[in-house]
Formats: sequence, C-alpha cells, structure tokens
Amino acid sequence: MSQSATAELVLDADDGHRLNRRMRDAIDAGTREIRVVNPRSRHNLGVGQHGPGTIRFDGSVGYYCGGLNNGAEIIVSRSAGWGTGEAMSSGRIEIGGTCALGTGASMRGGTIVVRGNCGPRTAANMKGGTLIVEGAVGYLAGFMTHAGDLIVCGDAGEALGDSLWAGNIWVAGKIAGLGADAVVVEPTDEESARIHGLLAAEGIDGTFTFKKVVAERKLWYFDARDPEAWLKV
Amino acid sequence: MTDHGYTQGRSHIWTSDTIRDIHAKAELGRYQIRGFSTFRQFPSWDDLVFLPAVMTRLPLEGYREHCETRTIIGGGKPDLVARPLELDIPIYLTSMSFGALGTNAKIALGKGFSAAGSASSTGEGGMLEEERAASTKLIYQMTPSRYGLDLEHLRKADAIEIALGQGAKPGTGGLLLGMKVSEKVAKMRTLPMGVDQRSCVRHPDFLGADDLQVKIIELREATDYQVPIFLKLAACRVEYDVKVACKTGCDAILLDGTEGATAAAPEYQLDNCGIPLIAAVRTARRAIEDLGMSGKIQLVVSGGIRNGVDVAKCLALGADAVAIGTSALIALGCNSPQYLDDYAALGTAPGACHHCHTGRCPVGITTQDPELEKRIDPEVGGERVAKFLRATMMECTGVAKSVGKRNVHNLEPEDLRATSLEASAFTGVPLAGVEWTVGPQYLGGR
Repeated sequence: MSQSATAELVLDADDGHRLNRRMRDAIDAGTREIRVVNPRSRHNLGVGQHGPGTIRFDGSVGYYCGGLNNGAEIIVSRSAGWGTGEAMSSGRIEIGGTCALGTGASMRGGTIVVRGNCGPRTAANMKGGTLIVEGAVGYLAGFMTHAGDLIVCGDAGEALGDSLWAGNIWVAGKIAGLGADAVVVEPTDEESARIHGLLAAEGIDGTFTFKKVVAERKLWYFDARDPEAWLKV
Repeated sequence: MTDHGYTQGRSHIWTSDTIRDIHAKAELGRYQIRGFSTFRQFPSWDDLVFLPAVMTRLPLEGYREHCETRTIIGGGKPDLVARPLELDIPIYLTSMSFGALGTNAKIALGKGFSAAGSASSTGEGGMLEEERAASTKLIYQMTPSRYGLDLEHLRKADAIEIALGQGAKPGTGGLLLGMKVSEKVAKMRTLPMGVDQRSCVRHPDFLGADDLQVKIIELREATDYQVPIFLKLAACRVEYDVKVACKTGCDAILLDGTEGATAAAPEYQLDNCGIPLIAAVRTARRAIEDLGMSGKIQLVVSGGIRNGVDVAKCLALGADAVAIGTSALIALGCNSPQYLDDYAALGTAPGACHHCHTGRCPVGITTQDPELEKRIDPEVGGERVAKFLRATMMECTGVAKSVGKRNVHNLEPEDLRATSLEASAFTGVPLAGVEWTVGPQYLGGR
C-alpha cells in the first residue's frame, strides 16, 4: 500500500481496518504527524510502529497501545489499558491519563511517561529504557526488572521490585511494601540529579526525594555456588 | 549393584536412589535440579501397536509407492495468516533455547531440520542470528520472560509460539544455572552474567484467555498477519486447557507431555507434574473437534517421541504434527560414547548422562564453554540430524504404508491396538485381541 506524505494525516479509528499498517505506510512515505480520532479505547492501536514520526490518539486507548514500538512517538490524550508500550525497543510514549496493568512490560528501550497512575505489574520484566509515572503504581511494580529506570513520583503498592535483577526503581512517595529480594538504598547526589534531569526533560518540575530500590541479590544465586554441588543428582 | 557408592537393598520405599536423594538434600539444603526428562516409568508408545493391512485393507508397496508427508500448520485461517508454516515432514524441532544449547548445536539443528524440509525453534533465549541464518524456517518462541523480544525478530520468524507451559516443568518458568549464563547469553537476555536465572511463569501483560486473545491480535498486527501463532501448553487439564486455547484465536496448539525434556528443572517437577503425552493426544483432538475447530487449528504434540513409529502413533491418535527435542540432540551426539573422561568427571557415562544443567556437556551440545562447543561441527552435526530425520520418516511412512495409507495424516485410532490396560485406558484404543476399551466409553469411538 502506498501512501503519499502529508503534513498531518488524520485517521478515523472507526474506519479502523489495518489501521496500524496504514500508519506504518504513512511514516514510510514521509508523513511525520498522524492524528487518530475516535480511538474509543480500542485494543492494539499504534502497535509495531517505527519512527520517525508522531502518532496522536485523541481519546483513550485499550490494551497494548504502542506495543513493540520501534522508534515512533505515541501520544495518548487520555488513558490506556493493559500492556502499554510492552516490549518497546525505542521511541517515546506519553499517556495523558492513567494506565492499567503491565505498562512498559519487558520494554527494552525508549521512554514512557504516564501523567496519571499505573496499575499493577508496571515495568514487569523491563529490560531497559525509562518509565516515568507521575502518579502512583500498583502492586508488583518493577517485578523482575532486568535493567532501566522505573521512576514513580507518587506512591508504590505492595511487593515493589519483587525478584529484581539489575533494574532501578525510584519512588518519591510511600512504599506499601517491598517484594522478595528488594531493598531500599540511599541514592547518590549524582543519581538523584540524573533522575531529576530525566523528569525535567519530560516537563516534570519539582524537587522529589527519591528512595532507590534495587536487588539485594540474594535471589540471584542458589545458596550453593560450588559447581560440584550440581552433580549430586 | 552399586550406584554412587550406594547399594540397592530390599526395600521398595527406601531405595538407594531415595536414600541418596535425602542425603544430598540434607547436605545442600535445596531441592535437586537436573536436566533430561522424567525418570518415572509411564505407559509408553511401545504399549500401542499398528494393525497393518491383511485381508480387509490393502497395503501400499513399502519400497516403491509414495506416502505423502507434507504438513501445513496455520493454514486454517487464510484471512489471518498469509504464510502458514509449510513443512515437508510432520516433524519440527521443539523449542530449546540458546543458553540451554550452545551456538554450534543451534546451528547444526537448524541446518539439519532445514535439510529435511522442516523448521526449528528459537526457544526462550531470543533469536540467535546464527540460528536464523542456518534455518530455512524458524519458529520464534515468546516466553513470559520475553528475553531479547524484538519486533524485527518477530518479523523474521516463520511462526510465533507463545509459551504457556512446558511438559518437563509445568507451572514454573525457565531455569538456567549460572554456569551457562555466559557473556553472550547474559547480553541476549539482559541478565547479569553468571546468575542462576529462574524465569517467571506468568506473562507480564496478560493473565487469562481473554487478554491472550487480544495479545494474539497484537502480534498479528505487529507482523502484518503474515505468520501463524502457536500456543505451547503443558499437558495437564488437557480437555479444558485445549478448549480455552482454541478460544484465544491461535492457529496451532503445541501440547507438551510430561516426558518432554529440559536442560534444567527441579527434579520434583520432572517426576511429579503433568501427564504423559500418550494420555493427552486423543483428549486434545476430541477437545478441538468438540469446538468444531479441526482443520482450523492444528494440534502439534511433543514429549518423549523417539522414532518414526512414535510419530505415526501420535498422528494416528489425532496430532497434525509432532515436535521433537531430545531425539534430535541424541542424533547430534548427546550421550555418545566419546570423551569418556569428561563423562566420568560428571559422575556419569555415555547412555546415562542427564547433566545438561551443569553446562559441562561432554559432547559439546548443552554448554556455553567454547572449548566444549568445538566438539560440535555444525556441518557434520547438521548432516547427522538430517539423516536421523530421513530415517525417522522412512519408519513413519513405512508403517503408514503397511497400514494402507497414502498420506501419514490419514492414520487414525482404528489403526492401533493397545497391549496394556493403561495404554488402552489412556488412549481409548481397544486392547489387542479382546477388542474392548478399558475405562468409560466417553470417547464414543472417536
């Protein structure tokens, strides 16, 4: 499907057949601004997109918006469902309202900014990039996060950072409870400055006092580190 | 007879294995972990026999006439799948990760299955570029941990498999001990090098079948409706699990019996969880038929399939294809009698080795040690695997022709008889000689 470049392409999600394909084709053709009207919380909007280009959804979106994003900027004016930006490798996603479960799940790069709250399992299996939540996050946020930064300006729910690998979680508000093997450590001044820099770049001003949550690394290994111990079976 | 210094006594409860296991746990303070498959003895494919054509059927000429083996997976929904997985044979390589296996082994398997006109699978650890290059057709496995999950890799795949369970350790995630989390493996999985990687079991962005239905559409959208999407299930509550899987909108179901092997699993899982494949195939087929989805969703089965006759038996019970793992590794040289000192250093011997978890595979297959890996020549290994697959298909088509079938997919339960009560009860196949089926007649002759 060929698509000629326009300054701004307006797509109506009510006429949604192969909408994602039409967005990709438009970006390939040189369009840099796409506006999608009437998203009506539909699932799988903005999936598998690439840059350079900005896709704006006028309204709320359903599950997996921006999933597998590979370089596009995706802006949702209102709220989003499960799995927003899951497995994103690069690009930027901004959600004007709240997000449900699994925001940024297994994302590997890029930036996600949520202006409101996020549900449970935010940044689960995250492998890189930055996920900023201006509000609060639900339980099991940062579950098994491998790498990257989850920054929470509000409160965090139970089991925060459960079974962390090497990711970092930053929480300015209250932490309802830490997950297995998660510990709070004092961030350095340089680290705090870096996090505030990431916030400032997203237009989030203010001085936050972040608690840094990392892995205590007791779950990184079985107790026995002697290779011979594995030969007893 | 002594084993690791223990002698088998007269007790059937406190066997030498049990005593040795308790001693090890008392010393280590943890459960035992090992590779390979269950050590439990179940009714096996050997408990079923084929009934070749005699007076009421006409056999095909075994050495001359053709028996079709072409297999298409994901061809039941042409509006959703532009490129179904077309295979020359009804066998493909099951998912085994880079990490569990070394690079050379992955390449060799890719070459071998490609030469046989079939497909290989990435397994959990992401897409290894060398494996993609060596494989004409490659299935991309997406596990809960999503190691290395990448849009471009999904688009390079010939099918996508969402892992929801594994026969060797259903209800748990992957396991890769630190000895195998090499620099390359750690980088692909975004893990600290050398950690004992215990993966999550639940996917991070869906919980139930309704969510998974949306997820499958997401993957179709991302890959532009090109390739089929499989679900891999451990054989547990087969009827209900398969029916729910059908409702998700997937294109194929891979059902993995408890005989399925692993590079590392808790032994309590290996020997106590899940049901044998022989007990699962017929139930799965019936579940698909009950929903009217035969032909639309393909059933692939795996777990302990050793040879072409096992393949034929699976097809006869209702599978559209099979996936193999351990037998392909054995074809590659697993447990072969060479490098005897290295087997001895592991406390084992050729034919008895199950030490994939240690990363010290004597024949260089389940290792990340560069020196051990040199023991696998991808070209030679690929030829061995291809020859094994050729021989396997000769067995499969040979038995199908003797039964009178021009297509291996025409094999059916009526072509089988059971030689044990358990096998009859598990499969709904009549007992040889007496012609009645053990157990309730719920299969209704299907």
